[in-house]
Amino acid sequence: MTTQEINWVEALRSANQKEQADAMNLLRGVLLQGLCIALGDRADVSEAHLEDFAQEGLLRILDKLDQFQGRSLFTTWAQSVALNTAFSELRRKRWKDVSLDALMEQGGHLAEPSILPDDALGSHEDQSHLLSAMRKAIAEELTPKQRAAIMAELGGMPFDQVCSLLGTSRNAGYKLLHDARRALKRHLEEAGITGYDIQLAFTT
Amino acid sequence: MTTKAQPLTPPQVAEFLRQVALTRDQEADCGTCLQHIGEFAEKKLTGTELDAALLSIEHHLSLCPECTEEYEALKKILEAHQ
Repeated sequence: MTTQEINWVEALRSANQKEQADAMNLLRGVLLQGLCIALGDRADVSEAHLEDFAQEGLLRILDKLDQFQGRSLFTTWAQSVALNTAFSELRRKRWKDVSLDALMEQGGHLAEPSILPDDALGSHEDQSHLLSAMRKAIAEELTPKQRAAIMAELGGMPFDQVCSLLGTSRNAGYKLLHDARRALKRHLEEAGITGYDIQLAFTT
Repeated sequence: MTTKAQPLTPPQVAEFLRQVALTRDQEADCGTCLQHIGEFAEKKLTGTELDAALLSIEHHLSLCPECTEEYEALKKILEAHQ
């Protein structure tokens, strides 16, 4: 981190209102420029959206300033927080009409042969055996929430929205999915199917 | 998403299996990824070797489309400023 950046971070923390306001204005401009580069060509993002994202990102950065560890440039870290804020909002808007009931019902079908058929990847015996074992693992190992989260993600629903519907944070939602994947993998390994076998099934 | 469940397509099934196959006992979550993504992006851009913490971020990105989307956007900004 450069001396200029250290001074900038200090100014954002400053008790001197003028100094802090100047640093915030400078950062807002940097964020806006970055957001224009990253999102400016999207049809669902207007100039007003970019201004809003820059402002929301700025507030979130000020809130998280103590988490900046100086392991990257300050501007790089700040842009990553602003992008996270912007993408979260865009994903929320796109999927706001999906209900929790629909999500849970979809997930309830994940272990059915009509949804995950034996021949989904081809007619080879190993592939059919794997998918049959996977359905058994899903039925025996996963909770309704885990099935719903997997089904929604595979259907293209952004993870932020899945978490929002399930009432969890993104970290807790990731743990929910991670626990599900671990349980499935362990179940398959106990049935004699290794991670390598799984990879072979969809690469052949 | 409609209420009626549709059969998973072959690419969806392959993606599901890929994620299960890549699963590790310990994985970085999205919050950890966000905390380190700036450093990760800078090091990838300069071709600097990644330490264990950043390799776990790379693994997380292989499993998380949302964090990957944000990483790609950040990379675009950094590349524009090079």
